[in-house]
Amino acid sequence: MSYLELLKLASTEAVVVVTALVVLAIGLTTRREATGVTVATAQGDQNVGGSSSARTNAICSFIAALGLAIAIGTALMLPRKATLFSGMLVITPLTSLFKIICMALAFFAVLLTKSEKSLRHPGEYLAILLLATVGLMLLVSSEELLMIFIGLELLGLSLYVMVAFDKTDVRSAEAGLKYFLFGSTSSAFTLFGISLIYGMSGITSLAAISEKLATVSVQPLLAVGIVMTLIGFAFKIAAAPFHLWAPDAYQGAPIPSAAFIASGSKVASFVVLGKIVLVGFAPLHGDAAWHAMVAGWSPVLAALAALSILVGNFVALAQSNLRRLLAYSAVAHAGYTLIGLVAGDREGFSAALFYTTTYAITLVGAFGVVALVRRETAGDDFSNFSGLISRSPMLAGCMSIFMLSLAGIPPLAGFFGKFYLFSVALRADAGHGLLWLVAVALFGSLISLYYYLIVLKVIFVDEPSLAIASSPDHLSPDLLQRIAVAVLAAVVLFLGLMPDALAAGLLAAMP
Amino acid sequence: MSSILPWILLLAPLCSAACITLFALRWKALSSFISIMAVLLSFICSCLVFARADISAPQFGWIDVAGALKVPFGLTQDQLSKMMLVLVSGVGAVIHIYSLGYMRDDEGKSRYFGALSLFMFAMLGIVVANNFVMLFMFWELVGFTSYVLIGHWFYRDAAAAAAKKAFITTRIGDFGFMIGILMLWMATGSIVFAEITPRMSMLTSHPTFLTVVALLIFCGAVGKSAQFPLHVWLPDAMEGPTPISALIHAATMVAAGVYMLVRVAFVIQTSQTALLVIAWIGTITAVLAALIATQQNDIKRILAYSTLSQLGYMVMAVGLASNDASMFHLFTHAFFKALLFLAAGSVIVMLHHEQNIWKMGGLSQKLPITFVTFVAGALALIGCPPFSGFFSKDAILALAYQRNVPIFAVGLFTAFLTAFYVIRLLVIVFFGKPRSEVARESRESPAVMTGPLIVLALLATLGGFAFFARRFLALPIEKEVAVFVPAVAIVALILGSGLAIVLYRNRASEPLDLQLLRHKFYFDEFYRWLIYWTQELLAGVFAFFDRWIIDAGAVSGSGRGTLGIGALLRLIQIGNLQAYLFLFGLGIVALIYFAVFH
Repeated sequence: MSYLELLKLASTEAVVVVTALVVLAIGLTTRREATGVTVATAQGDQNVGGSSSARTNAICSFIAALGLAIAIGTALMLPRKATLFSGMLVITPLTSLFKIICMALAFFAVLLTKSEKSLRHPGEYLAILLLATVGLMLLVSSEELLMIFIGLELLGLSLYVMVAFDKTDVRSAEAGLKYFLFGSTSSAFTLFGISLIYGMSGITSLAAISEKLATVSVQPLLAVGIVMTLIGFAFKIAAAPFHLWAPDAYQGAPIPSAAFIASGSKVASFVVLGKIVLVGFAPLHGDAAWHAMVAGWSPVLAALAALSILVGNFVALAQSNLRRLLAYSAVAHAGYTLIGLVAGDREGFSAALFYTTTYAITLVGAFGVVALVRRETAGDDFSNFSGLISRSPMLAGCMSIFMLSLAGIPPLAGFFGKFYLFSVALRADAGHGLLWLVAVALFGSLISLYYYLIVLKVIFVDEPSLAIASSPDHLSPDLLQRIAVAVLAAVVLFLGLMPDALAAGLLAAMP
Repeated sequence: MSSILPWILLLAPLCSAACITLFALRWKALSSFISIMAVLLSFICSCLVFARADISAPQFGWIDVAGALKVPFGLTQDQLSKMMLVLVSGVGAVIHIYSLGYMRDDEGKSRYFGALSLFMFAMLGIVVANNFVMLFMFWELVGFTSYVLIGHWFYRDAAAAAAKKAFITTRIGDFGFMIGILMLWMATGSIVFAEITPRMSMLTSHPTFLTVVALLIFCGAVGKSAQFPLHVWLPDAMEGPTPISALIHAATMVAAGVYMLVRVAFVIQTSQTALLVIAWIGTITAVLAALIATQQNDIKRILAYSTLSQLGYMVMAVGLASNDASMFHLFTHAFFKALLFLAAGSVIVMLHHEQNIWKMGGLSQKLPITFVTFVAGALALIGCPPFSGFFSKDAILALAYQRNVPIFAVGLFTAFLTAFYVIRLLVIVFFGKPRSEVARESRESPAVMTGPLIVLALLATLGGFAFFARRFLALPIEKEVAVFVPAVAIVALILGSGLAIVLYRNRASEPLDLQLLRHKFYFDEFYRWLIYWTQELLAGVFAFFDRWIIDAGAVSGSGRGTLGIGALLRLIQIGNLQAYLFLFGLGIVALIYFAVFH
């Protein structure tokens, strides 16, 4: 294996890393000038510093977006199949597809940063965002526990910084601290779990673990190892009861960070979680059927799924802040997605991935709308959204597409995703053993309709409050961001009408 | 031979609707131009498709859940659908042009033409759908567009109420339709017509199941084709603009139900019980509507009830297991009923939207072209030889005489009633003296309106002759009864017409007073009562449930509970985080316990 070949296979990651460094360098050099100016004209014209910072932001965003676009291009040219260092870096159609999806989500997150005024150091922020993207790609493309852990840590450390990035906002710092404490705790458990698995099997490659475990019965130590390994991912996908960080992080973090946590981080976590349980722990599947539970990972995930669906949906009912509401609904959606993994096999995995991908697209779009509304009204409570239809029909229309898709209304992507998941779960077991889980999920989506419709009621029916109407900050509507939101809404609609465009691709890419 | 012509003819109206709604709402002339061009394009493509024997459209997949559900986007191109394409787009084109005159000064002209294009798209979609999912989708789209068009003058309470009534009533039928489709899908595992047909043999051992499926699918047609007992929406739908009444409620949308029955005949004809029910529903509708029509005073309502009655004939023919007879009547009816509505529209618009026939009178001199064309349509409707309606109605009556004599008797009585109320209408509106100021001052309509009338009058006159109709569809074969049935039918016709002339000549007001018929057998009152009480009852139950269980228990309980906990936890920042981590740890312990000891 020559280094040249290694570079070729890891070209996508390399491009993103280089872009991150370039963005960082630009951010560092121009920021100094900007602060210099600000210091010089201490109380004078603040606009100078402001516009300079905005320009830096624009340049850095442009370079980051360009780098991601090039990286997507290189990902398209990757070979169909390759394995490096016994599974540390694997290239299959599935990994290439999800690298592209992750980068596309990062691309939209970059577009969101453009309008985020609170970010005073856009260069650093974007560099960290790109490094987090590298973490996502490592996670997606590795089939080896150590490498997965490293990817998890790279992603986690970047995200902690991204959440706490807004130093002027106390809530951002609080959210960052909470996210960090939870993240490091769960990482510790995951590492412990991985070492237990290693102790039992003597190897860290997923395929090899599966072979070793095939002959072993489920002993308590192994069960502890499995549960602990899964905890790190349960934390990342915000499954109850490991979701407690999510509402604060979604509400307090800068919006691009929140969007990235809700989308890219979640998609990659589901990909790797699926690989671990379906490839690595394949012999320890167990059975999650109601009357005939057999120990293994699937009852554990089923319990997490049911709890997440119930907790997420019930608590979301009582929210009056849109970002908190999205956080709790994210918990519920993590629960739905887990059903696909519980169902197991190729089809269950592809249903879960279809669902999480469409969910990620929807949520980036929803956060895009939140960002634009927040820019205009300086808040993201329900009251800030009241009467949005009269202020911006386009945003209101897009938001209704996103909300209805989350609620699972045809013909939007969310409906087909749910339909696919539930039908796979029902067919997974000859005796409809997962019926109880599907029933819980249907009950959950019934409840969820209520709070999604409340959002739409606020947008379409409520009178705009006076404070908003007289808000002076109407200047410079961010056209690029509006286009991005509209594109995402169109994608959600398209995937609802033509789900095969993605679903067939996913199924074909499954190993 | 594969060709994209079918796709063009289907998508042209959709593009037109999209263009008008998105860009051209402000320019009325442009909207009407786009819409008319689109429908003409559809019509030309339909003719081209019709002229080529072996045409097929490229098909592509839409939904494909392996093993569970496969929905293609494919277009049926057989003789039946091609004939309907020409019919729908042809009548549609004529009515589009007529609308130019009728809606000349309307405020919402762009909206009207946009909706009209969308309706054409939906209707053509029903015709070419090759599977149940597409069919149902376009079916619902037709329902929606008809809602929009009936409620075009939504600021009038009656129009808004009629639109709602039409939508909700047809939805009731569609509910059964959907269940029928789902049952068929469950049983055969496919929703594509061509794939279900060979699999029907698997089901012959379950006759009850087949009957239920056939009747549920028939429910859809009962709603859409306004059959008893869901017929109540069609007369009210006359609140819409008259071209809409002509297009939707005479020639196309209501015919969709009959067309659908013919399309899925492979299901329906497997059950004799279902066929019998269908035949009787059609017969009851036919006679009921004809009875009600004899006592109505609104020109459009009389025509609406005559539509109901004729649809009853078509459904009767379907129930008698003759698709040919049914389609033949659908074919001729589309022409003469569109003609009658448009001619009535010409009368109405020239009398400044006066629809009461007792305010008209003596219009044969004032509106000569309208009068002549109206007479052609009326004679076709009552089945007077040699107008088109004679042939098709005769075919159905002959069929009934062979297969089911009671139905034949009722059908004959209906023919008598039809002659009676149509001649009554004719006598009151066009003869005698003008009975109001507007009727005295009326004059003939512009050419853009009379042109379509003349075209349709020709078609209504000639449409029934075998040399013409055979080009379009397979004609039913008549057997030995060929002399007896027409003879009886003509006697009924003469009796009915004669009675009407004797009763209504030179009258200024209604000589008969039949309250039961005037109030349409009290159907509306009965439904209102039924809905009121079920609604009250259900609402009471749900209000109780909502207030005491959902609101007090689930929502407020859990919601306020969590809010309270959240507020409490937020008070103590440190405790908050520790509590979180404690829960985190507790979760891990619980999961391990669950995994190890379960």
